[in-house]
Amino acid sequence: MRRIFAYIAASVLLLTSCDAWLDVKPYDKMSQDELLSDEEGFIKLLNGIYIELNSDMLYGGALSVEMVEIMGGAYVIGTDNTVWGNYSDLASYQYGTEYWRSRFSETWNKAYSLILNCNLLLENLENTRVSFTGDNYKIIKGEALALRAMLHFDMLRLFGPVFLRNADLPAIPYYKEYTIVPNAQMTAREAAQEITKDLLESRILLANDPVRTEGTRLDAPSDGSSTFMYYRNLRLNYYAVTALLARSSLYFGDNKEAYAYSTEVIKAAETIFPFVDRSLVTGSPEDPDRIFSSEVIFALSHTQRNRLFKNYFDPSRIPNYVFRMDNDLMSSKVFGGGSLTGGNQDDYRYRVNWVATGANRYFYKYSDMVETGNIRNTMIPMLRLGEMYLIAAESRSEDIGAGLAYVNRLREKRGVGNLQQLDRQILQYEYIRELYGEGQLFYMYKRMFTPVLFSAVDSRNPQPSDAIFTVPLPDTETENR
Amino acid sequence: MTKRLLNILFLLLPLTLHAQEATVVLKGKVVDSADGYPLIGVAVYVDDSKTGTMTDVDGAYELKIPQRRCEVTFSYMGYDEEIRLYTTKNASAFSRIVMSMNAEQLADVVVTGVYERKKESFTGASATFKTDELKAVGSTNVLQSLKTLDPSFKMMESTQFGSNPNMMPDIEIRGKTSVAGLKEEYGTDPNQPLFILDGFETTLETIMNLNMNRVASVTILKDAASTAIYGSKASNGVVVIETKAPARGRLQLSYKGDFGLSLADLSDYNLMNAREKLEFESLAGVYKDHTGNAFAQIRLDNLYNERLKEIERGVDTYWLSEPVRTGFTHKHNIYAEGGEDKIRYGIGLSYGDVAGVMKDSDRQTLEGNVDLIYRSGKFQFSNKLSINWLDVSNPVVSFAEYAYANPYYRKYNADGGIDRYLYYPEEGIDDYPVANPLWNAHLNNWDKASGFGFTNNFILEWFLSKEFRLRAKFGLTKQDDSEQTRLSPLHTQFDDVGETEKGLYSHTQIDELSYEGDVAATFGKLIAEKHMVNAVGGFNFSSLKRQVYGYSANGFTDDRFDAPSFANGYPSGGSPDYSQSLKRAASFYVNGGYVYDDRYLMDFNYRLDGASMFGTGNRFRNTWSVGTGWNVHKEPFMQNSDFFSLLKIRGSVGNPGNQNFSAYQAFSTYKFNGWMTNVFGTGVILNALGNTQLAWQETVNYDLGTDLTFWGERVNVTLDYFWKHTDPLLAVITTPGSMGVTSVAMNAGSQKTQGWETTFRISPIYRPAEGINWNISFNATSLRSVYANIGDSFSALNESGKTSLAGTTRYYDGGSPTAIWAVRSAGIDPATGKELFIKKDGTYSFTYDVNDEVVVGDTQPKIEGLFGTMLYYKGLSVGCFFRYRWGGQVFNSSLFQKVENIGTQEIYNNQDKRALYDRWSENNREAYFKGISMVQKTEKSSRFVMDDNSVVGESFNLGYEFPDKVARRMGVGAMNLQLTMTDVFRASTVRVERGIDYPFARSMTMSMGITF
Repeated sequence: MRRIFAYIAASVLLLTSCDAWLDVKPYDKMSQDELLSDEEGFIKLLNGIYIELNSDMLYGGALSVEMVEIMGGAYVIGTDNTVWGNYSDLASYQYGTEYWRSRFSETWNKAYSLILNCNLLLENLENTRVSFTGDNYKIIKGEALALRAMLHFDMLRLFGPVFLRNADLPAIPYYKEYTIVPNAQMTAREAAQEITKDLLESRILLANDPVRTEGTRLDAPSDGSSTFMYYRNLRLNYYAVTALLARSSLYFGDNKEAYAYSTEVIKAAETIFPFVDRSLVTGSPEDPDRIFSSEVIFALSHTQRNRLFKNYFDPSRIPNYVFRMDNDLMSSKVFGGGSLTGGNQDDYRYRVNWVATGANRYFYKYSDMVETGNIRNTMIPMLRLGEMYLIAAESRSEDIGAGLAYVNRLREKRGVGNLQQLDRQILQYEYIRELYGEGQLFYMYKRMFTPVLFSAVDSRNPQPSDAIFTVPLPDTETENR
Repeated sequence: MTKRLLNILFLLLPLTLHAQEATVVLKGKVVDSADGYPLIGVAVYVDDSKTGTMTDVDGAYELKIPQRRCEVTFSYMGYDEEIRLYTTKNASAFSRIVMSMNAEQLADVVVTGVYERKKESFTGASATFKTDELKAVGSTNVLQSLKTLDPSFKMMESTQFGSNPNMMPDIEIRGKTSVAGLKEEYGTDPNQPLFILDGFETTLETIMNLNMNRVASVTILKDAASTAIYGSKASNGVVVIETKAPARGRLQLSYKGDFGLSLADLSDYNLMNAREKLEFESLAGVYKDHTGNAFAQIRLDNLYNERLKEIERGVDTYWLSEPVRTGFTHKHNIYAEGGEDKIRYGIGLSYGDVAGVMKDSDRQTLEGNVDLIYRSGKFQFSNKLSINWLDVSNPVVSFAEYAYANPYYRKYNADGGIDRYLYYPEEGIDDYPVANPLWNAHLNNWDKASGFGFTNNFILEWFLSKEFRLRAKFGLTKQDDSEQTRLSPLHTQFDDVGETEKGLYSHTQIDELSYEGDVAATFGKLIAEKHMVNAVGGFNFSSLKRQVYGYSANGFTDDRFDAPSFANGYPSGGSPDYSQSLKRAASFYVNGGYVYDDRYLMDFNYRLDGASMFGTGNRFRNTWSVGTGWNVHKEPFMQNSDFFSLLKIRGSVGNPGNQNFSAYQAFSTYKFNGWMTNVFGTGVILNALGNTQLAWQETVNYDLGTDLTFWGERVNVTLDYFWKHTDPLLAVITTPGSMGVTSVAMNAGSQKTQGWETTFRISPIYRPAEGINWNISFNATSLRSVYANIGDSFSALNESGKTSLAGTTRYYDGGSPTAIWAVRSAGIDPATGKELFIKKDGTYSFTYDVNDEVVVGDTQPKIEGLFGTMLYYKGLSVGCFFRYRWGGQVFNSSLFQKVENIGTQEIYNNQDKRALYDRWSENNREAYFKGISMVQKTEKSSRFVMDDNSVVGESFNLGYEFPDKVARRMGVGAMNLQLTMTDVFRASTVRVERGIDYPFARSMTMSMGITF
């Protein structure tokens, strides 16, 4: 009997040693176990996700200045195919062409591949034995949750139905864990709940974010020690998550929450995200801070951000296409038109960002400041203080007019006079003035279900419809289930 | 019953008397019947006593035995047991004992590489071929001969690469078990069988390079009962190859040589001549300006007239003759062997130089091997060392480029030189230049590879007792290969490239190190004369490490100076290639066999496999198999009949698996975001998503078969029916983008295959004593596979197949993996010249709709196999073997792409003659093909699917074994000559271009063997 036990023990031993021997780690690739064996690995993976947000398919192009902004009517799109290529199809909302089908599919795939990275990070964070310094564990987890929510939210805004009309239509799948079985499509309402849940959890985890006490901390140590807890405005910090909640609550029709979150940010911003210093804008006409960097709550850091300007807005691109606003729309509505529109050529946003070349004015928000290596030259704004004022104005009460004070406060900081009254149209112009070229306008029209303002002439602006506001899901999504 | 009791009493009696028994000493010598050499270590004992001894170095023994009647047994591994009765008076009969080599060992034994079993008592489906049989049908390599001998062993003919001696073929035994497309994904063919050389796993390349003259036997293991001992590597079947062991005796030298000739077979090419091509171009409207520009029309008229003039001058260039040559092949093998019983040795050297039918297509191999066997008492040590060297070169310009060249161009210019272009449009003319294939071919370009490696296999055997044996094996293989290609800066590929970036040199180095170890115990005993029990149990481990690295360099300025040191730099944006993979496996295995009275047979196998390629969730896997058989001819009721010498019925079931998959598919791996860093430093993101739950691909395999030999050994029949169910399949599946990856290795669906195979051989004249034998053989196989439970997993592959130009493979439940999917066609409408399609519901339509696709054929033939005959008359032998194939279809891509679908680019290539004739026009309304047009796109339809029935003259041979007298007069021990012709002719119902990049070859080889 003892002998039998000895045999069993020996074979168990042999089997377990076999198992260890069979556990081969790749040398030419980074295996997950190896990467996530220390805190540094988690931090690198999280940073990798932030870096990838700069991809052309996401906020380094398609979702900031290019695709979604064309859909938001920001640019004059010509009809000459040799210059404008496929853009005229998009400006007329022909999502079905082969080119745009594949472009939307690329964006979708890229967003979800980053969601998968978030999920792998979160899952490993859950099961890891690695010990983290200070609050790093909570910060990493909080930021990863917020990234996951933000990407899902933008996919919902792009591919989902018009929320306030059809919240119960199937929209997008929401992935909360790494799986090799495809998740089912959720209704827009269900997805909204998931987004809110993730953001709320993230906000709790980020309660000790140094941004709350020490601000954005752009004074990172230069001695080579960890910069992880610095440059907080380049991360989804506590206020960025709060601002994202304000944005999503408004989109989901929860005005009370939108008002609460936006005003929380506005209050904190007095010290942490102050309005841009007048001298930086008007005092240095040669080299203004065009993105109003101190007001940016969350920005991506793209080392070749000037490509955005060079590839899309630089007037020297002519005879190739250049993105700019319709002249009439600019002169009679957005930056003109007096008290009826709130447009004024004294507006800093006009003086700083719109530079005349020939008969047209061109958009310079993304052109570099003179000082090379300036962190501001890498920033692609994702959330800014101005939007919080507009959200607060819009969500304060059923009556938009009640938000006038918030709009006027913002206008004061932009060097233009008070409005006497506020309506939806004027609010939209204010959104255009504040957020132009940041990829938010399409979602605004979709949320309000109003015509998309390509032009000053109403008859030329596309009427709202589910067809123009809902991008069909990519083929790979519908076919491979 | 009483007799048996008496027997027992009789046996017991001497035991009780043992103590006071008188003894006598037997003395003698044991020698081998073949050469009279003494046998060392032969066990000599008396059955019912404990007395026993062994022979010494001179084969001598002394044994004390009781002075009474008893049986003395002489036992020696590999030899027939010798039992002699001692009658108390015949001690002198023991002075010289002659033992002979076990006949079964030589003939009717199944060698599985792990254990050996008598063919008669084995329940698995297998086929064994000896060196003579293999050499009789061909001398290229072992696998080429195997495909002529066994219908289940198939070497896939490559339409693309033809008879390129440097291409490794795809090989299948009893059909595929894996989804197509994985080879591209993983680099290894998931349907490739397992190769075992002298008991160690080896590669296809090694077997292809192995000199046939070294081979002793090849065994194909087909069903679960025979392959399950290899567990999770065995679902594609196993090929076991044993090389010759050195023979005992005085030093003996033998030489074997093969001298071959091969010629390109261009009969499948049906290209236009100069006049036809020009007429075709003219009809297609090449010489008509469509913009109505008068000047352009004049230019085109001139061009046409110029070409016509050239044709009138007699220009009609046959380009296909340029790249081909007559290939001379010679192979030599020298082997010296000898030794006595204790030590035997063999030293061999093989050299082969294969010249392919295309210029610059060569393969040289050099192999040295040392075989040593040392036997001492109960131990035997054997070691096989082989060292190989390889040097190959490939043509740089593919055969297709010559097939494209138009016949109305001259090869050489007026000065006899080679022009860069056959046609170059004048400045400002929007037209394609036509490159001269001879230009790139005459430059100093090359594509070479070389390799060096060695294998050392060591086996230690310990014969503990007559029944019990322990064996330990260890094999080590190191193989380093390098591939180098060079393109001259004058190559037309670099015409538009800057001066400093012309030319390209690239180098890839592949290093492999593998080892395998195995410890096993073997037991075999006949109990009470009726119960034969065999058992093997062991442990095996193996490891394969493969490292690939390479780089490219460019910026050569001179055609002649080609060393990499003349390069200017590296291609911009290029980075070094590097990859490494490590695969490990460990297994336990048990095999047991039980035979009752030679009549009822039972086999079982069990193996536990672990492999590093599989996820932690599924690291280990069980393989089992059970086989059973009934030797009907041994039954008492058959004993009176001499008609059947073998009548066996057998069946088996088991679940061998497949692990021909990539090393790290179970791992999630990460990479740096190389394109950007930020103030936080570097970032990392997912590179490939692993699947830790990935399950092993598993094939449940059923086999029912019978082996018959009757009519005085004149008729041999084997018949097998098999049924395979692979579940789950392992495939790379396209996933919804929201999963974060676009494809993932997954288990999806299953595949069911059933089929049968038979071999039949009859000898109408069979007089072995006189050396006269004439036999006729016929073999056939048929199989059919279908997919099940795959659902929409492969919808992406289906979609891409539908939109691709000529993709006809689809993946649907119930569909065959080899089915041809296309829209049915009713032919060309005589009135309009348009193709009329048949929709799914049977109605007719002129509009093509891809959703009307149905199965319009299957590339898998209903039946295929070989038939042939051999005649032996004294030393002379004549034979011929034909391959046939019936009931399959093929999508004729020559018609699809070289008759129709000739677009504005393809029009500049030479085309199939049928593109000119039998086209629809006002005057030829009953045509099979559409009218000539450059713009019309032809869709995939059943019009291009044709029956593919064929007969190929695969092997003709003539051999002569010189009589001993003649050989001795010539001063040699033995001598034979043989002439083999392969692929002599091919008759097929379909005419399709074969050998696109490299033509097929017909070859003839003269072989001779001399023993001194």
